[in-house]
Amino acid sequence: MAYVATRGGERAIEQAERLFRDDIGTISRERIDAVRIGLPYLIDRLMGEASLYEPDLAALALAQAGGDLYEAVLLLRAYRTTQPRLAVAEPVAQTDLFTVRRISAAFKDIPGGQILGPTLDYSHRLLQVGVLKGEDFTPPPVEPAAEPAPATQPSLATWQKVQGLIKDYPAETVAPDEIPDLTREPLLFPASRAHKLQSLARADTGGTLALGYSTMRGYGSVHPTVNELRLAEAPVRLRHPRGTIFSAGRVRVSQTEVISKARELELGFSATFGWNEVKVIAAATLDLASNQPNPHPASNEEFVLYHTEPVESSGFCIHFKLPHYVTFQSSLDALRRVKADKQPSTSAPAAAEKLQPKKEEVAL
Amino acid sequence: MTLQELTRPWTAFNYGFLDESAKRELRRRILKAIAVPGYQVPYASREVPIARGWGTGGLQVTLTLLKPTSVVKVIDQGADDSVNASSIRKFVGRVGGAVETEDTQAATIIQSRHRIPEEKLREDQILVLQVPNPEPLRPVQPDMSVAREMHGDADYGQLWLILYEQLVRSGRIMQGSSYPSMVNGRHVMTPSPIPRWDVPKLNKAGHLTILSAGREKRIFAVPPYTSVEPLVFDDVPYRVEDHQDKTCYRSNATGYFMNELPQDDGSSLYELSDSHFGVKNIQKSEGETVAIGETWYKNGRMD
Repeated sequence: MAYVATRGGERAIEQAERLFRDDIGTISRERIDAVRIGLPYLIDRLMGEASLYEPDLAALALAQAGGDLYEAVLLLRAYRTTQPRLAVAEPVAQTDLFTVRRISAAFKDIPGGQILGPTLDYSHRLLQVGVLKGEDFTPPPVEPAAEPAPATQPSLATWQKVQGLIKDYPAETVAPDEIPDLTREPLLFPASRAHKLQSLARADTGGTLALGYSTMRGYGSVHPTVNELRLAEAPVRLRHPRGTIFSAGRVRVSQTEVISKARELELGFSATFGWNEVKVIAAATLDLASNQPNPHPASNEEFVLYHTEPVESSGFCIHFKLPHYVTFQSSLDALRRVKADKQPSTSAPAAAEKLQPKKEEVAL
Repeated sequence: MTLQELTRPWTAFNYGFLDESAKRELRRRILKAIAVPGYQVPYASREVPIARGWGTGGLQVTLTLLKPTSVVKVIDQGADDSVNASSIRKFVGRVGGAVETEDTQAATIIQSRHRIPEEKLREDQILVLQVPNPEPLRPVQPDMSVAREMHGDADYGQLWLILYEQLVRSGRIMQGSSYPSMVNGRHVMTPSPIPRWDVPKLNKAGHLTILSAGREKRIFAVPPYTSVEPLVFDDVPYRVEDHQDKTCYRSNATGYFMNELPQDDGSSLYELSDSHFGVKNIQKSEGETVAIGETWYKNGRMD
């Protein structure tokens, strides 16, 4: 078996994995808790891209992957897909959301009011370097308002619809079991509204931002305004087999409506698990830009949805590390033949190709 | 009757990792793919615990076909012991309790990345090819929706145009691997990035070939005894790689697809790309009794 032994990958492969895990060390319950409590926004981003709301599992995935976000998304997705789909929750309207942050850039004030909630938007981004010298950074306590904001808020779009500013599309009633589910069906084009929003909901934050940003900068005809942005907790209500509806808990969600100022007012929408404002603003912009006439790639839904899928894009990218010597050999064969064809039949030396000299930078 | 009697004890994952609904979907898509040879059937393509682009499409098919009596061989670029092949083979063994093998003759399921073994496959064997890009029209039409319509219309003129352009520019057809091929006289498919050497092995073959692209969520098949014809012009014959005269420096076998191994002195050595076929040939040359199956190519030629 000399042939195989000299290739001998198996031991090296195992040790390579051990090297990675050795750097991370023992994963304990305490570490999971520290990740979950200390990095809630990372957990949120991960749960959104994994389309699985379970902070403990997300923290475990992050710990296991040593913080490699794409690895963590894959871990969670691969776990999620094996789980049964037990029930379909009742739809959640904007007015059902227990809203902690809600802003509109379209109006100075809106029915229900602007609620700033938790944000770093207006903070000075200064590193608290004292912590490294042993001085703990304890943030000053929150001073509650005399009158707390109401838990739920009216929808701005509803007001705009009543005003006749935006179209009120009739809502289609779909039986729970008939709701298209992207995790159980392939994405086909033109994509259904459900598939499109599901796909954006679990899209890669960075990819969504890059493409969304390109339409915001001017590739495309969209100049979005944030109509309403919400960070909230959504109630998960399920129907008991006996018919009663009961609450199974709450999940953190973010959602954004952006509105176009071009020709007529139109809304773009996006929602995702967890609090991830950048993603929902970018995704809502992509939704709005989608399928505009004479589009830029970022306003083509097929282009956007295929290329913002985090598991597929990251996996394909790293697959180029796999050996490709057979495919390379096949191309090499064709290239060599062409070179051989071009060799003149006479013994005269082939005219040497003029090669441009390489410029080298010399450090002085 | 108690609930306990109706349920099974909890396990970390289902037999073959995928849940039964995922397997059922895949079986239906496979049947459709077999019924319409070369036609790309969309499927949900579940996540599996390896990264996309690393054989997730092939793996889902293998996991679906898996049964405790299966004998599974996994190869990557011809080699059984390549990093990814051994990782996939181990995973299949772990979740399916299947017998793992490196011997083409012994396998019932062969999952492969970019090679078809040199020994002929039988009717009771299934070849599962991993596919990075299922769409032969991608170079002329990156939009999958439009490409789908072109398949519907059998609108393949632009593929011949590419080949013609290569002929004009380079004097040769430059397509390396993934040579576009007409299946059953109706659908053009990519045979996956197998070398041109391997494409004729699919034509009228006794075995079933399932090609699965996990990332792109498409599955297609070449049923047994179905024609697979590389796109060619009547006056420009199909040419496989010039490997018919190459000799493996380890096993002395000649006339099979080889890996080129660059040497320090600027020359090259060659070794059989089909690693276990190489092992068998070495064993044979050392006087051991080994069963080497009939090969597709004989003396570097396939008739």
